[in-house]
Amino acid sequence: MTTWIDASCILIVFFALSILATSRIVGMIQIFVLQSFVLSLMPLFLHANAISAHDLLLSFGTMLLKAALVPFVLFWAIRHISMRSEVKPLIGLGSSIVCGALLIAGAFWVSLSLRLPGRPETDLGLPCSLATVLLGFMIMVTRTRAVTQVIGYLVIENGIFLFAVSLFDAMPTLIELGILLDIFVAVFIMAIVLNHINEEFEQNSDIASQSKMGETF
Amino acid sequence: MILSIFFHWFFVCLTAPFFLGVIGRVKAFASGKVGPPLLQPYFDLGKLFRKRSIYSRNMTWVFRLAPAVTFAAMLAVSLLVPFGALKAPVQFEGDILLIVGVLALSRFFMIAAAMDTGFSMEGMGASREAFFACLSEVALFMNFITLALLAHSLSLSRMLGADSPVSWNLLGPALLLVVASFFIVFLAENCRIPIDDPDTHLELTMIHEVMLLEHGGVDLAYMFYAAAVKFFIFAAILVPIILPVQTEYLCVRMMSFLGGMLGLSVLVGIVESSMARIRLDRVRNLLLISFALAFFGLIVALWRG
Amino acid sequence: MILSLLILTPFLCAVSVLLPVRRMFRVWMLCAAAVAHNAVVVSFWFRLPPAEWNGYLVLDPLGLIVLSIVSFLFLFVSVFGIGYFEHEQRLNRTFMTCLLLLLSTMTLVTVSYHMGLLWVAVETTTLFSAPLISFHRSRGSLEATWKYLLVCSVGIALALMGTFFLAIAAHDVRTLLLPSLLSAAPLLSVNWLKLSVIFLLVGYGCKMGLAPMHSWKPEAYGQATGMAVVLMAGGLTQCAFLAILRVSQICFKTGLSDFFSSILILTGVLSLVVPAIFILAEKNVKRSFSYSSIEHMGILALGLGLGGVGIFGALFHMINNALAKVVMFLTAGSIAQKYGSSRVDDVRGLIKTYPVTGLFLIVALLAGTGMFPFATFHSELMVLNAAVISGHYVLSGVAVLCLAVMFIGVSRIVLEMVHGQPTEPLLAKKENPFMNVAIAAAAVALVGLGLWMPQPLERVLREAAALLGA
Repeated sequence: MTTWIDASCILIVFFALSILATSRIVGMIQIFVLQSFVLSLMPLFLHANAISAHDLLLSFGTMLLKAALVPFVLFWAIRHISMRSEVKPLIGLGSSIVCGALLIAGAFWVSLSLRLPGRPETDLGLPCSLATVLLGFMIMVTRTRAVTQVIGYLVIENGIFLFAVSLFDAMPTLIELGILLDIFVAVFIMAIVLNHINEEFEQNSDIASQSKMGETF
Repeated sequence: MILSIFFHWFFVCLTAPFFLGVIGRVKAFASGKVGPPLLQPYFDLGKLFRKRSIYSRNMTWVFRLAPAVTFAAMLAVSLLVPFGALKAPVQFEGDILLIVGVLALSRFFMIAAAMDTGFSMEGMGASREAFFACLSEVALFMNFITLALLAHSLSLSRMLGADSPVSWNLLGPALLLVVASFFIVFLAENCRIPIDDPDTHLELTMIHEVMLLEHGGVDLAYMFYAAAVKFFIFAAILVPIILPVQTEYLCVRMMSFLGGMLGLSVLVGIVESSMARIRLDRVRNLLLISFALAFFGLIVALWRG
Repeated sequence: MILSLLILTPFLCAVSVLLPVRRMFRVWMLCAAAVAHNAVVVSFWFRLPPAEWNGYLVLDPLGLIVLSIVSFLFLFVSVFGIGYFEHEQRLNRTFMTCLLLLLSTMTLVTVSYHMGLLWVAVETTTLFSAPLISFHRSRGSLEATWKYLLVCSVGIALALMGTFFLAIAAHDVRTLLLPSLLSAAPLLSVNWLKLSVIFLLVGYGCKMGLAPMHSWKPEAYGQATGMAVVLMAGGLTQCAFLAILRVSQICFKTGLSDFFSSILILTGVLSLVVPAIFILAEKNVKRSFSYSSIEHMGILALGLGLGGVGIFGALFHMINNALAKVVMFLTAGSIAQKYGSSRVDDVRGLIKTYPVTGLFLIVALLAGTGMFPFATFHSELMVLNAAVISGHYVLSGVAVLCLAVMFIGVSRIVLEMVHGQPTEPLLAKKENPFMNVAIAAAAVALVGLGLWMPQPLERVLREAAALLGA
């Protein structure tokens, strides 16, 4: 099973890197779905010997919320917002990829000095989750569109979740579900705010301000 | 020794064009056509070898030399690569550097020949080839470094051979990244879709093919043959990484090698028929991703090391 | 049972106001919920309720202080709301629902005794407070909402990371229940705990609006209605501070106090200096009050960081800050409603047009900047006192200077608004008794606390400070 766990960790970072390298918003969301899907399988891989109801619930909950509902809300939001589908990065995609590679190296370097207590299933959980969080920050900071910032936030959350899932099981189910639900509601509210912003622009019908808002929001 | 070298060459030259035929067949099948026979590349080569080359007055000896050097370089590289049960006739510590170097030499002569024609389209293709090569070579080197770290050796035969310590159970995560990264390099170096389209004949979008526009007859045949051998060599490096069969039976090893080659060719065919060529400015990003993956693989290898 | 009920009741009220009912019914519903909530909370001052949910919900003296602050803020706001919504014609369904949900979740924050549950509760408060900012649906308010959501969400994400680090530090304890963590403090792994403390401080500090993470504050406070700002500046930020206090409890038990204090003092000083710089260029009374709010957060962090009498001062300042925020932002809100703006160019000569509101604005100035006889003066003095006692002379000098600059900056705007050449109110409206009663009650309470500290309050403050090691 270790091979599968390791492969999932690597894949999650790889997807984060791909989101960073993608130039279309729809593509970003699709890759995010893949990432969330792999993430939701992690609890099952980790406890493959004895899958408990808790693992099933967590896995199913993650899959439902992150791989289905959240992308649905995001797609709903971009359908309602008349914006072009190209991502507007502050720094070019090529430089983003190189920076992303360096961030991954940084995450591994930091993890060298952090010793985990107990015997975790995989030693890749910590560095990969840190790398995903850093890449999420990178997406958030270097992309100017509002939707892409939300995606960056979600990637950060996925990284934190990878950390939580792969390293310990001290959290009660209820808290874990609370966290999941909170993230979903956060995205939902962000989508609504985005929609309001869009309505506000359409009412103003000032072409100049509209295009400007499209850039910053 | 001499015998094994000649046998190696014989094997490469005999089988290499076949896999190009497989790709063509898969692509034809995917688009609902019957397609050319599997041996079509051999027929093409035979036809070209019977023809005479034509040179313009502006061309110098560089242009005439290039096909021979390119083909010779590919044959030289093939000596360093093990093919399944066939051990590499030449192997020593650090031969991966020689491989990359000789590949670069052949590329240098191709580019020089393209510039020598004085045809603007060829110059454009040459510049593109040089630019993308810069990126793909870095990724290639990164992959080799990772493999070297995993195998504790700088010799390609130790990295890939049956006695190599590289296996999925132990080194899965790093290998996964190496395979992914190498596959992109493999597509880029062999000018396959989505990086370059070997079948297109629109000069503006071509990268590799546009450099061969002025070649004809035997020269073109050499170039074509060299491309087939290059494809074979890269596949022969990739296949043992994916399928590290460690068994005493030579027959099984050879079968798994050839089966892997066939599978990889089919995979390339599927990729080619399911994807469109990406925009030229995106090629850079794809190669950078390949580099990032290789770099990530290196980090993971160091982490596990 | 009683704690769960206290959380559930506002939640049910929120569901009821979601239904298509009359506008004023929602306001009265808010009043009823606030009064009931308040009555229960006051009863807690005589006897603390038992733990619930296997120790997940516990009310301790620290929680009691914040819970009372939240409860009283809602009382003031709901009374103010009666007057406000008589004039406001905008649909208030989302606003009122979110307000009630906020009451419910803020109550949950104050009684959570599990670090994971605490995180969930704080995150939920962020979500329900965001729609409050965009009540006016103007372009500026939507921008402010977006900024608030994004900054706070990222901050809260960091706090989640910190919570997970804490769980790793507490690997041998195998739970994040506060009493277990505190009793097993020597078992915690120090390196992970340090990392966790940094993340938690940055995360909850974002929510609190401490200096490097304060950027959302002027926007959000400048755009939201007065009622919402009161709850955010007085309630939400102090709920986040409660989370930091919980971290402080753990640090105190594990002997990380020095490490923790140094970070707190650093952010505290930054939160004093940064707004003092920005206030001088400000033209909007709400935004200038928001800088003052950052300053107050700095005082809280400073007091907690300095320890000793500073902790007592910080806890006392939480109460005073909340009351001062009621006076400041409800007054600003009532001005904004009357003039349709809170910029100094549009609002002048308040004392002639609206004498009572003008007077309140002067009171808000004095209360907000910590003048005698308002209680803010005493609590700020306690924190400064702690700085001097612990030998941080330069720091106390800088703090006094910043407070002075802040006073100048705010009074410059306020005095011009009160005494300048009168401008015509955009939407001429009379003074509303409900609005004025709410503001006056808070002001009187603030003066009262400044002159006389009730016995039970002092006892609870001492107990709470003892939990933090003072």
